[in-house]
Amino acid sequence: MKSTKFTPVTKLSKEEVDRKWWEIGDFFRRNSLWMLMYCTGCCAIELPPAMTSAYDMERLGMGPMATPRQADILLVSGYLSLKTLRRLIYTYEQMSEPRFVVALGSCPINGGIYHDSHAVINQLDQYIPVDVYVAGCMPNTESVMNGFVDLMIKIKNKTAVGWKNYHKNFEWYKENQLNSLGEVVVHDEFHQ
Amino acid sequence: MMNSTNNLDFVKEFVNSKVQVLKTESVDKQQLAFEVNQNDVHLLLSSLKSAGWIQMSYLSAIDWIEENKFEMVYVLFNWDKPVYIQVRAKIDRENPVMDSILPIFPGAKYYEREVHEFFGIAFPGNPDYKKQLILEGWDDIPPMRKDFDPKVYSDRKFPKREYPQDFSVTDPKNNSKAKREAREVRATSLRGGKKQ
Repeated sequence: MKSTKFTPVTKLSKEEVDRKWWEIGDFFRRNSLWMLMYCTGCCAIELPPAMTSAYDMERLGMGPMATPRQADILLVSGYLSLKTLRRLIYTYEQMSEPRFVVALGSCPINGGIYHDSHAVINQLDQYIPVDVYVAGCMPNTESVMNGFVDLMIKIKNKTAVGWKNYHKNFEWYKENQLNSLGEVVVHDEFHQ
Repeated sequence: MMNSTNNLDFVKEFVNSKVQVLKTESVDKQQLAFEVNQNDVHLLLSSLKSAGWIQMSYLSAIDWIEENKFEMVYVLFNWDKPVYIQVRAKIDRENPVMDSILPIFPGAKYYEREVHEFFGIAFPGNPDYKKQLILEGWDDIPPMRKDFDPKVYSDRKFPKREYPQDFSVTDPKNNSKAKREAREVRATSLRGGKKQ
């Protein structure tokens, strides 16, 4: 009689092994998300209550991170001017993968109250992929927290694939960036 | 004893003794505005600086498109006699040139660059007034001119989100307001207790 304690090792394909490791990685990743807060606009005012004792982001395992290379989430809070977008693309491309983008407020969705401004872009997902939008002008803190929970669920369901789309449609994103920005490289007297 | 009324009188007399004032306006209790000729601006600013208005708080321009003029505004402050002074001068809009005030107030360097960027006013005397400061790679007429249409620029430059249907509250087919009011009426009718 065969021992029930012994399970024969099935020969898994490389994709299967990769998938299992990604699932393990995603489990730990979604329970320990580090955010790079790119506080571009007024929605940043929702973050202090979300981070401090009122809503306590730490209970979701989230924390602020100071540098892009160590962060998982790029949090775009509010409107993006052309200048800021240029720096935001810099920051996004510096982040290590997998990387996720959460956009707060109505400005990254359709321009919000700045829809006819000469300096503010209208749609963030034309330039970098966005995983979770939190709508509202401004969204209240519950919805911000809910957006983070949504992102965790998306990571669990393997649908937070913005960073893969960025690789897949890299030319398209670059073309949009160049159409609106002229050039992505920063040329000013402080960078020379 | 010095007080703000004394200061205002002193400023009015002082400015009128130096240059020809076209218009005087009292903006508030501690702020006076003098409109002068374009050629008198430098004389007035340097006399005010030697009289104690050592701080140039702001420099900006206004576009009066109906008159076809730009108006330069210089705001000065004195720390001993607390009065702000605005010096205003109208300049030509077609060929806007205003001599730089760098010899008087070196701090105006960046303000002049900003004004050049947003209004297109030239400042001979400022060595790098043409360098870009805020707008990066701007490719249109200066954006603070009244004949610049930001909506057209935004439509041309930035992709807009397409919506499958009109969500606007001004849409006559959108009756969400009526529905909300009907819900409120029903909720009130179901509420127990004393009717108000």
